Amino acid sequence: MPDSSKDADFDRIFLPHMDAAYNLARWLVRDDHDAQDVVQDAYLRALRFAGGFRGGDPRAWILAIVRNTAFTWLKRNRGSNSPAEFDESLHHGDIADAGLEADAVRSADATMIRDALNELSEEFREVIVMRDIEGLSYKEIANAADLPIGTVMSRLARARGRLAKSIKERITREST
Amino acid sequence: MNCDDVRILLHGHLDGELGVLLDLEIEQHLEECPNCAREFATLRAMRTRLRDETFRFEAPPELKEKIRRALPQAPPRANGYASRRSGFVPRAIQFAVPLAVGAMLALFIAPRALRPNENDVLAREVVASHVRSMMGSHLMDVASTDQHTVKPWFNGKLDFSPHVTDFAKQGFPLVGGRLDYVDERPVAALVYQHGKHVINVFMWPSAGTATSAERIQPEQGYNVEQLMVAGMNCWVVSDLNQTELKAFTELIRAHG
Repeated sequence: MPDSSKDADFDRIFLPHMDAAYNLARWLVRDDHDAQDVVQDAYLRALRFAGGFRGGDPRAWILAIVRNTAFTWLKRNRGSNSPAEFDESLHHGDIADAGLEADAVRSADATMIRDALNELSEEFREVIVMRDIEGLSYKEIANAADLPIGTVMSRLARARGRLAKSIKERITREST
Repeated sequence: MNCDDVRILLHGHLDGELGVLLDLEIEQHLEECPNCAREFATLRAMRTRLRDETFRFEAPPELKEKIRRALPQAPPRANGYASRRSGFVPRAIQFAVPLAVGAMLALFIAPRALRPNENDVLAREVVASHVRSMMGSHLMDVASTDQHTVKPWFNGKLDFSPHVTDFAKQGFPLVGGRLDYVDERPVAALVYQHGKHVINVFMWPSAGTATSAERIQPEQGYNVEQLMVAGMNCWVVSDLNQTELKAFTELIRAHG
């Protein structure tokens, strides 16, 4: 393989995405120290499997590794469900059911939004973090989160519905 | 298009994933349907909030530094196919070729050769230890540039006394030591520095007699040297380039 176009080495390609990697890990494991461990582990794995990187978006590639590392970590340390056991159909509700108005969202406390997001299941949290905070495309999310591309939009719709519901509940709780 | 169809598509519309034709249909629906329009406004407000920087965690500087230090630097320059300043893809091939050759040899050579070479196993162990020492906060148990502090520190912790020499004058200052565990036994790990590179020297007594430094195949981009010094089995691991690591290894031999 000619390396003139690829002589950019691992560091230059993947180190710039460390913020994205840490952000995802931090949202998934919800702890600074644990997130650092996950990112370190993911980067070592990435280095070992760098030969499997066939060009394309390095950010989605490293995020896929971070995500898998985080889920493995969660399973080992917190006994959380693996993604395969996640039953999406159990999580109903969309934005309309939540009854959350745009104005309420705009004036909601940041802590409230953060808590609501943290309360979602990891499978919902990760798609919102990837899409809304990290700005990944559906295709990139499909790759990173190991989902069929056709599932990304419905997963996001459910996740956002849950998030809206949770924010609404917090607002109601606070105002009573 | 009815509201049920639109409800999910609103997300694709918000995210710009639908394509012009569907986008137009959705927008038309939103003009006619206040319920869906309200829902879309909420969605958009949520997205605006989440995009705010307060929700994005930034990697702590110490994490960046730790990972940068733990990743190997440019691969060795001294010989043949490894001499290009190569990217990670060719680097992977560098490992793949010896691996493939090794696998083929293993198939044809006597069965006992199928047992993984002891040195290969040790090389993997010391590299793993090196990487762990670089990533965790556990590089050193005793931080000192004074060989007369580091050497006695091992007393009572090991059943042998490691050779500890500071090579600051030669450009490889001793920075500390720690206990480590390699080859199913506690060993001394001496930590040296050269520029920004960290060198781990693992040391334990051994009956072996070979004295010439043996260069082990690079593991994961780290260079590894092995030598026997006055009854001690020494393994030297670093991301330092091969030539300089070789020079350092010679210092150890000379002062052993």
